[in-house]
Amino acid sequence: MLKICTVYFDGFYSPDYITRLHDSLRKNSTIDFQFICLSDTDVKADLVLPYNHNSNIVKHWHKLKFFSPQFAYQNPGDDIIIMDIDQVIVNNIDDLLNYPVEQNELVTYGQWWTDRLKFNGGFYKFKSGSLRKIWDDFVLNPEFWQLHYYNKGIVHKKYYGEQNYVNNKVNEHNYKLTLTPSEWITKYTDDYKENLKLNKMYMQKFNTDYMILDKEVNDKLKVIHFTGVGRKINENYLL
Amino acid sequence: MRIICCRFGNKFNQWHVDNLKHMIDKYSGLKYDSFEVIEDDLYGNWFNKLQMYDRFRDDENLYFDLDLVIYDKLPNLIRKNFTLLDDTWWREPAHTPLNSSIVSWTGDVSYIWDKFKKNDEFFISTYTRGSDEWYYKNIEYETYDKVCPSIKDYTYQQPPQFSVCTLGQMHHLQEKGWTGWYSNYFLPIH
Repeated sequence: MLKICTVYFDGFYSPDYITRLHDSLRKNSTIDFQFICLSDTDVKADLVLPYNHNSNIVKHWHKLKFFSPQFAYQNPGDDIIIMDIDQVIVNNIDDLLNYPVEQNELVTYGQWWTDRLKFNGGFYKFKSGSLRKIWDDFVLNPEFWQLHYYNKGIVHKKYYGEQNYVNNKVNEHNYKLTLTPSEWITKYTDDYKENLKLNKMYMQKFNTDYMILDKEVNDKLKVIHFTGVGRKINENYLL
Repeated sequence: MRIICCRFGNKFNQWHVDNLKHMIDKYSGLKYDSFEVIEDDLYGNWFNKLQMYDRFRDDENLYFDLDLVIYDKLPNLIRKNFTLLDDTWWREPAHTPLNSSIVSWTGDVSYIWDKFKKNDEFFISTYTRGSDEWYYKNIEYETYDKVCPSIKDYTYQQPPQFSVCTLGQMHHLQEKGWTGWYSNYFLPIH
């Protein structure tokens, strides 16, 4: 069974982000999967699990729960995908959802743009339970880890750093890290000039005529990720 | 004999109280006369627990936190003198060796409440990490032998030689969606 797992909590985004992601995943794939959302409100999902606001675990750090084989009714052999909800699926993603993964391996997005951290927390795929130390280490001291990267000055917003943590734990426990083809994803913003720059970079990198032109999307592109602090999905790209 | 638990604020709900009673009734082997729940939220923190020393001044008393797994017949936990857990056998040294997840006494120990109540504001501002440090520095106590390990050392397998386990900071194991050896002993979570 493939389980696609997400987290939603009231605050920055709205429940329609889950509806949009759920619907676009179904529309752009032929693969059977269970769509799960850890949420503090009703959302469109096959399984909704409670987001506990009284927990010592906060915000997107709840994503790490899915690394535990004891969460979300996982069974041995299940393939688990954790996705951020600030993404739009723009082409068929069977190749992404079916991307091969082995025990003790983490598959995540290859990314072609320059970023300080060469690691994208928007998509994790792994075999159920095989990366459980990522959760087991975290849950021994969530308060420490949730502020660790902020306190170290590595991230500049409180409670950010979840992907830094996962990256560090992958290295610490010698898990294999595999990146998907980088032309499958782009980040995008609501800043016209920045998007123009991203388009140019993509064209040069992959020797193609365009990345996103008005509402035309390059065939190679599967996912648009609206990454970055304070960024939301650009309403113009609700394809 | 009296069983006591406390429920305050939003962290725990009626399910947690019902679940404790379920585990006691089904697995612990304990025979008791009354099951008492303290819900008066006087302080907004776990110093609320100290009310039980004022409220229950006779008979045998056995207190349990709500975030425990009781999965087998308990050893005799009833004590004459004020007794609580010493955690130092399973964890790193901390601000207190004590853990009041399980507490027992017989008769009147209301002096504990009286001592706290007399300077409650001072104590709450001084012992910001909880009432267990307050006990450690202010009250004479006895401790149990090794009876209650932490689930952090037994997440994936049931502790073989014990019958009760504290969840410690891992309260999430009592939320919907978590399944492990421990969930077999809980009431269904909705």
